[in-house]
Amino acid sequence: MLKDVTFGQYYPGNSLLHRTDPRIKMLILIEYLVLVLVANSEIAALLSLAFTVFLIAVSGVRFGILIKSVKPLIFVLAFTAIINLFFTVGEGEPLLNWGFITIYANGVRNAIMMLLRLLSLVLGTSVLISFTTSPLELTDAIEALLSPLKKIKVPVHEFAMMMSIALRFIPTLIEETNKIISAQKARCADFESGNLLKRIKALIPILIPLFVSAVRRAEELADAMECRCYNGGEGRTKLKVMKSRPADYAFLLAVTVLTVAVFFLNNISVSEIINLCKAIF
Amino acid sequence: MSFIEARGVEFSYSPDEEKVIKNIDLKIEKGSYVAILGHNGCGKSTLAKLLCGILTPTEGQILIDGADTADEEKSFEIRKKCGMVFQNPDNQLVASVVEEDVAFAPENLGLPRDEIRKRVDMALATVDMTEYKEHATYKLSGGQKQRIAIAGMLAMSPECIIFDEATAMLDPTGRKEIVAAMKRLNSEIGITVVTITHYMNEAVEADRIIVMNKGEIIADGTPKEIFSEVEKLQSVSLAVPQVAELMYLLEQDGHPLPRGVLHAMEAADLLEAYIKGAKND
Ligand SMILES: Nc1ncnc2c1ncn2[C@@H]1O[C@H](COP(=O)(O)OP(=O)(O)OP(=O)(O)O)[C@@H](O)[C@H]1O
Ligand SMILES: [Mg+2]
Repeated sequence: MLKDVTFGQYYPGNSLLHRTDPRIKMLILIEYLVLVLVANSEIAALLSLAFTVFLIAVSGVRFGILIKSVKPLIFVLAFTAIINLFFTVGEGEPLLNWGFITIYANGVRNAIMMLLRLLSLVLGTSVLISFTTSPLELTDAIEALLSPLKKIKVPVHEFAMMMSIALRFIPTLIEETNKIISAQKARCADFESGNLLKRIKALIPILIPLFVSAVRRAEELADAMECRCYNGGEGRTKLKVMKSRPADYAFLLAVTVLTVAVFFLNNISVSEIINLCKAIF
Repeated sequence: MSFIEARGVEFSYSPDEEKVIKNIDLKIEKGSYVAILGHNGCGKSTLAKLLCGILTPTEGQILIDGADTADEEKSFEIRKKCGMVFQNPDNQLVASVVEEDVAFAPENLGLPRDEIRKRVDMALATVDMTEYKEHATYKLSGGQKQRIAIAGMLAMSPECIIFDEATAMLDPTGRKEIVAAMKRLNSEIGITVVTITHYMNEAVEADRIIVMNKGEIIADGTPKEIFSEVEKLQSVSLAVPQVAELMYLLEQDGHPLPRGVLHAMEAADLLEAYIKGAKND
């Protein structure tokens, strides 16, 4: 059932994105999301597309891996494109009028924009965070970025600790689930036949032991952590300290400029830019 | 003053349950190597948790280097001095990467980075796992995980380590290595070692053996003394090492041989002398 679950998606490497400070990467991610979602005019969309391509190129992640990460989304992508293509009601003459199907020029434009936007979101986030940031870097970065909230008593350290422990226990619990499934199968449990309701019911003998064991593990882990002097985040030091170099700030600044540029370009059409160029020269 | 001192300790997990630990008076000296024996459910793990302050006695008191484990204010000091390695390594590893996990305790102590680095490297070298420094913890075998758990404890550099069946998951070679490591810690670094085990050959290595039954200490002495009382051990469903059993059986058959022989070579010499003596008569 759970044969091929790889843990995390991190691909160790030494590309520019791997070396960028994870905190800066998180900030860049936020800007990137704004940038992709806001880009609406052709020129802005083109810019955002170019930036996505740049990120992918600079991440050093193999093309095959990218394709693999998009594969499960093909249906969603196709569906959005088709909806946009057929159901956008544009002005002027339709490009095609064939029975109940009418396609307007605007529909084609919307479909392409939407497709590119979704693809950019998926690929950009993957190369910025999932593929190039180790889980520990990620939780550390989140803790660091949210640390101002500690002042208003938000348990930021505890939250980050919980996240990293959850990540650590995913493979353990997967292994355990497989063991329980085998054990139940050995007792003639049947998980593969019957209707949906029956199959869901068959999962109960897996979930209950899994839950019980997870609680027991949590108790033991709490004892072990206490034994190792864990006392909350206060006064804790770190083996690995995040360092941001000038290059990281430069990267952040460049993306900020790009985001602002997209906001401006959104309000200008291509013809206006051509006119502007003509006026200058 | 003894390093660990228990005075009239009783313990039950909840007020209406039967006492799991009854009337225990115990002194463990600094730098000693103590093994605790007893059959399943006799309260060894509970006693271990009491001795390192994870649990506090319902009756009586436990002093660790003079500090009462019931005293909340001293709990951090106590934790630092007395560590524990649990039976199941899966439930005591905190981080996804080996060196991050080993660094957990020194990080909690708030040590400077260089010192953490030094301790992590030292601890990994002691358990012979240096080459796995950057591996994912979930990919290690059970025995390797247990070694990392021990390294994690060593990095805290406690004065006393309690091993609760820490070798139960290891193969014979792995077990021998861990026992050798325990001995080395004890004799070279002077760490007080308390080990709970079901393997008599491991108990033989200790300076002192404590035998428990139904929450009470029923025997306390050197391995030689303890393993001389074969009947007593058998009455609480414990075995004696094979060599001691052989000598015991021969004695039962009417051969005047000494009891409490623990090592094969010693037994061989004694038997040789005995047989030669019998021939000469
Ligand atoms: N968390 C708990 N809550 C309630 N009862 C417990 C708890 N842990 C242990 N017990 C009970 O306390 C008794 C002693 O358990 P303990 O784990 O100390 O035995 P043990 O000597 O370590 O056994 P083993 O050799 O199997 O490890 C058992 O009867 C057990 O049922
Ligand atoms: Mg136990």
